[in-house]
Amino acid sequence: MIPAPFEYTLPSTVDEAVRALADAGEDAKVLAGGQSLIPLLRLRLAAPSVLVDLGAVEGLRGIREDGDALVIGATTTHASVLADRLVHRFVPLLAQATATVADRQVRHRGTLGGALAHADPAGDLPATVVALDATLSIAGPDGSRTVAAADFFVDYLTSALGPGEVLVAVRVPKREGWSTHYEKFNRVAQAWATVGVAAAVRRDNGSIAEARVALTNMDVMPVRAAAVEEALTGVPATAEAVAAAAEHAAEGTHPTGDLSASPEYRAHLARVLTRRAVLAAAGI
Amino acid sequence: MRLDHNFTVPVPVDEAWKVLLDLPRVAPCMPGATLTGVEGDAFTGTVKVKLGPIGLTYQGKGRFVERDEAAHRVVIEASGRDARAAGTAAATVTATLIAQGEATRVDVLTDLTVTGRPAQFGRGMLADVSGKLINQFAGCLADTITGPAPSAAESPEPADALSSPVEAPQAAAPEVEAVDLLRVAGSTNAAKRYAAYLGGLVVVGALVWLVIRLLRR
Repeated sequence: MIPAPFEYTLPSTVDEAVRALADAGEDAKVLAGGQSLIPLLRLRLAAPSVLVDLGAVEGLRGIREDGDALVIGATTTHASVLADRLVHRFVPLLAQATATVADRQVRHRGTLGGALAHADPAGDLPATVVALDATLSIAGPDGSRTVAAADFFVDYLTSALGPGEVLVAVRVPKREGWSTHYEKFNRVAQAWATVGVAAAVRRDNGSIAEARVALTNMDVMPVRAAAVEEALTGVPATAEAVAAAAEHAAEGTHPTGDLSASPEYRAHLARVLTRRAVLAAAGI
Repeated sequence: MRLDHNFTVPVPVDEAWKVLLDLPRVAPCMPGATLTGVEGDAFTGTVKVKLGPIGLTYQGKGRFVERDEAAHRVVIEASGRDARAAGTAAATVTATLIAQGEATRVDVLTDLTVTGRPAQFGRGMLADVSGKLINQFAGCLADTITGPAPSAAESPEPADALSSPVEAPQAAAPEVEAVDLLRVAGSTNAAKRYAAYLGGLVVVGALVWLVIRLLRR
């Protein structure tokens, strides 16, 4: 299907992009890699009057080290994230989750910032940046601000981004000494996650010193499995202890039901996948 | 597809029956809903949804097929369509008011048939999302009933409510201007309006959400 008519702008700086959004009003939409937005346009489920394409904006692409964190430009493609040695070294969880996103073609066009701004609870990267305690840099008409990943995802397909704001970069703290795993279940290749689990574990001798677990598609936004994290803290790094902690995975979540899974099945998956993810992360 | 929902309003059943029937008064509680017309047994309305990048306007029409005041039950048939995204749905909605002491429970049973692209994509969260809409509506309604009466300047006349669009985005539902339901007397066509409301709520709302969910493959 052909999208409804729209105006197209191609700013070359973040300031220009913010100005273009302000000029266009509430009906404008930012275009990054377009792997979610273009299908929406073609289905005519979205019909913005103006598209502001970030593709030519200087400095939005690329990954650099900044002290105890990596700073990843918003329009850095998934493929670039996957190919980056800094990511693999310091935040392997991001690479593990990104590797499961859609297919190779999508990963070569789709961007980290776009996936986060789209805020699909079935997307793999929102839960991942929540688990990693990332901070998101946002530029807007009133200047710049930063938002913690945990506060960025507000509702289904809804982020903390205001209508005139642009996601500029994602700052991910280095996780040295942590080991991680992203476990995803989907019924057919390339599908959205039925449920996904992002797990990071720091071991101390024979026990688990700290754990971070976030869930994909168990609510209208990514959620931390706080009860699991608490149950894991300080326990011996054994299969039994992890299995017991993983039983708490669905607590406090509100999974939806669809053709792929009922809410009850999603809750079951959350427990099973959390166990697998934590076991894999902890190397048990 | 069968969907079951219920919500409770904090007034006795006879009062709730009268109060809830005045659709133009309660329509502002429906996120994004506009009642465009009530004529005899038929009604028309639209529901606007803006959710992230998605913006849709669903147009629905419906017909009141049963109104049983003794049993406090209404039955309507309704259908909705989004012209741009070409999604359609048809539904029979049965709403029953059940006395629970000083409160009233409203049971809503929906028999829904979805055709076109939403059905092809086969991915729906109708139970969840229409339930969410109903919860928002019920919360707004309960606040409205138990809250303070609005001033005259803020309280729209029914005629205004009928003719002027109410475009409350979903998230803003709790902020929708309150109407004083307790002051409203039941009118002869009030049941039809009530029916129209539920039609708009369940069918059109559910339709919108179904289409939204197809994005998730």
